[in-house]
Amino acid sequence: MTEKETQRIIMIETGSLLVEVDALRSAGWRLVQILCIGQADGAELSYSFGLDLELRHLRLKAAAEAALPSITSLYPGAFLYENEIRDLFGVRIERIRADWNGKVYDVAEGAEGRAGGRKPFSKVTIKATSSEEAGR
Amino acid sequence: MMREETRPEDARRRPLSLDEARERNIDGPSVIPFGPQHPVLPEPLHFDLFLEDEKIVGAVPQIGYIHRGLELLVEKRDFTDYVHVAERICGICSFMHGMGYCEAVEGVLGVAAPDRARWLRTFWCELERAHSHLMWIGLAADAFGFESLFHAAWKSRELILDVAEETTGGRVIYGSAIVGGVSRDPDDETLARCMKALAPARRDIAQLSRVMLQNPTVKHRLEGVGVLSGEAAYKLGAVGPMLRASGYDYDARRRGYAAYGEIEFETVVETAGDCMARAAVRIREIEQSFAIMDKVVAGIPAGPVALPIKGMPPVGECFARLEQPRGEVVYYVRSNGTRNLERFRVRTPTFANIPAMVEAMRGQSLADVPTIILTIDPCISCTER
Repeated sequence: MTEKETQRIIMIETGSLLVEVDALRSAGWRLVQILCIGQADGAELSYSFGLDLELRHLRLKAAAEAALPSITSLYPGAFLYENEIRDLFGVRIERIRADWNGKVYDVAEGAEGRAGGRKPFSKVTIKATSSEEAGR
Repeated sequence: MMREETRPEDARRRPLSLDEARERNIDGPSVIPFGPQHPVLPEPLHFDLFLEDEKIVGAVPQIGYIHRGLELLVEKRDFTDYVHVAERICGICSFMHGMGYCEAVEGVLGVAAPDRARWLRTFWCELERAHSHLMWIGLAADAFGFESLFHAAWKSRELILDVAEETTGGRVIYGSAIVGGVSRDPDDETLARCMKALAPARRDIAQLSRVMLQNPTVKHRLEGVGVLSGEAAYKLGAVGPMLRASGYDYDARRRGYAAYGEIEFETVVETAGDCMARAAVRIREIEQSFAIMDKVVAGIPAGPVALPIKGMPPVGECFARLEQPRGEVVYYVRSNGTRNLERFRVRTPTFANIPAMVEAMRGQSLADVPTIILTIDPCISCTER
């Protein structure tokens, strides 16, 4: 049996994120993960919650410059996911409880890390890497 | 020295409270850097530990020392080849990472591995769980200075690795998980012979368990240390032995993936929530893994072990969940209809357990920090991918 048979993805708006997450928290759901997928015009985030063996996902699309609220006020353990997503995808997430200020992997925009400040999962980086390969 | 001399006599005899320290212009909590290089840490992980006297009042974790960007590679590798990259996420749960990726891709493809492949996957999963937990016993014993226990645990683990080598050809990277099934098919006689070869390890593990759970030295280091309540573990998203040791009955194997839906087993749960409870969960799970392997060898069906996978995967996505030795792991794949997947994501158990570990440290003494860190059995290579 694969999870595809039981998964449930609910599309939500950015503005209702905290309300929806709070409703799940009140119903006893635990935070399983936050998934981010970089897109040309922003990012798609899926917040996964589990209750017993059931898995449910809240999905939203964040525009490139949009700021998302942190859910660490409801799920304190979300700080790792949110810091990582901000570093790797450049998504603005505000009011993270334990804010690492873009220093998780040292690759956030503006950071002077090994990756030279590029966001490794962004379309820009993928395009740049492809052109570099083509140049060789 | 000046500061010492100006303190009142009584204050010199007892530790200062935080307010007293502030009044005297002495800094509040001390900040002790812990890691990334530390004798008990096999992999780099850093904490800023905030202490009042010897007690931890807060901790800020820091990862990011060995990020390899393995998820991104999925965009540049054929979806059937990427399983080899997925296996290399971790050298301990390598087979399960490969298998989890395959389960997710099979979900997108809408296929299920043949029965014999599902049973073989279960066998190798439990083999990996048993050797991972034994490795943990060794590392924990080494951390609190019990060298002979470390040696005994790793000696037994070698026998398990021998079986891995005999059935897959590999001791660390098995290379046996493929999309649509498995690439190796040890015959029934080989599997039965392997279970016999594991008999000495099973005998030794029974003895190891007694030492780990009853030896006064070990009990002194683990009992009542790093207590995590069930409520805190659940709220902070803990998984695996970290969650089950705090009284929560959750094991992703209950979903019935591979052959777990056809094999009876009890979820191992402890209630104390301390380091000893986490150790007890792992020790009981070793015994359980051997029992599950017995059932696999007794009931494995005959038949093919792989489906032919041809053409492009359809556009789609799939989440898959497995129970690794360290806890629930979540795999996600999204296909755009080409041979290169658009996204692969792993949420590893250590990633989920870090917030709970920080909570377990609160109120503990500095000397217990290494033990608490070890009892979540951190795998940082998995965490950073």
